[in-house]
Amino acid sequence: MGKVKIKKHSTHIDMTAMSDVTVLLLTFFMLTSTFLQKEPVQVITPPSVSTEVVPSEKLVQVLVGPDGKVYMNLTGARDSSVLSSENFRLEVLHRAYNLYREKNPSAPKLTVAEETEFTKLNTFGVPMKDLAHWLDQPMEKRDEELKTGGIPIAMSIKDGQPNEFQIWLRAIKEVMQERGLGKDLTNGRGVAIKAGQYSPYHLVQVVMDNLQTEKLNKFTLMTSLKSEEE
Amino acid sequence: MAKKDKSRQKKFDTRIDFTPMVDMNMLLITFFMLCTTMLKSQTLDLILPTNDDVNKEDETMIKQSDAITFIIDGQVAKDNLGNEESKDGIIYYYTAQPDLENYTLDEIKFGDSKEAIRGMLQDRNKELLKQVNQFKKEWKEGRINDSIYNEKVKAARKAQADDINAHRPIVSIKPTANASYADVVRLLDEMQISQIATFQIETLSKEDSTLYEHKVGYPVPSASK
Repeated sequence: MGKVKIKKHSTHIDMTAMSDVTVLLLTFFMLTSTFLQKEPVQVITPPSVSTEVVPSEKLVQVLVGPDGKVYMNLTGARDSSVLSSENFRLEVLHRAYNLYREKNPSAPKLTVAEETEFTKLNTFGVPMKDLAHWLDQPMEKRDEELKTGGIPIAMSIKDGQPNEFQIWLRAIKEVMQERGLGKDLTNGRGVAIKAGQYSPYHLVQVVMDNLQTEKLNKFTLMTSLKSEEE
Repeated sequence: MAKKDKSRQKKFDTRIDFTPMVDMNMLLITFFMLCTTMLKSQTLDLILPTNDDVNKEDETMIKQSDAITFIIDGQVAKDNLGNEESKDGIIYYYTAQPDLENYTLDEIKFGDSKEAIRGMLQDRNKELLKQVNQFKKEWKEGRINDSIYNEKVKAARKAQADDINAHRPIVSIKPTANASYADVVRLLDEMQISQIATFQIETLSKEDSTLYEHKVGYPVPSASK
């Protein structure tokens, strides 16, 4: 009588190969990732056939919320010896705030701690008069206040005084020109407007008018890719 | 005998269970996948005219018959969050000068047909498009590379823009306050697709406003603050 032998299989699976794969994938994602930036408002950019990518350095991004609130985002050069983002923001802040204080001498001076806080920020956008107070707050409160803030941008018709958005632009322009990067700002790749696709056009137009006033006639609009069948 | 006992070594299994390691890696991968932006957003270049006064002699004269004006309109509606949002973009157009006798202002849609925007623009820009398509063919067949292709297209566009006698459409885009940003970008896209070398974004002139009012029955909406 031949006995049927049942082979005993081990239930263990060798996970080494699996582990190899996951580590590879992990490495890939870690190296390619650029983190989603925290923005005060989420916008969906309009689709376009344009394939040019957003420059990743030396960029002034103007974010226009659906309610017309305007925020700015400064990125320095990738080569930090030329102009790091931190230095860029710090110098712009100095200039812009000084310009503001010339008109409003009663505004408080910014402390070093406040300035350091500012250099770490991705996006800013509160009126100048609230700036010192805003920078004193902890991170969560700042984000909260950013939502109700926005850089004042209405074109001043009566006295020809620059509005605060123009003050920022002037400061940015001066800083970049001093570092020999003036071309990077004015060649049309230095300023990007990011606005939601369903935003009424006049909100974007105000930003464009301001840019035009500051002689930044060339800029880009941020869009998302749409494939065009041919 | 006792000696032999001592030297006996315990055999360890050298295999390590990798399951927890894989678990952890998977978690990390999920995290990175959700937090990254793989697709970078694209940009559309735009050049606006300067605000500086231009000398009369520097102004370029254009043939009236070449001019096309688009007026982009939209209806402002409120979305469920109470934010204003414009919808249903309507585009009107007229060619040459505004006609204040017959009030010609027609509606036009996006699309390929002859009556639609792209069809009309491409029909008016045939000469340049023929050249560009020729370059594109060469490029597709691999006879020229990307940069040469781009240069050739650029040169052809420039030649057309400099040639006063050439038949070239000159487009004015005039959005009203209600126009949605997406419609403006879409129309700018059409300029790119149809290789329109000369176009500009403007505000509505007095004549445009008259035409608009005659067409829709109410004055041009302005940006209300």
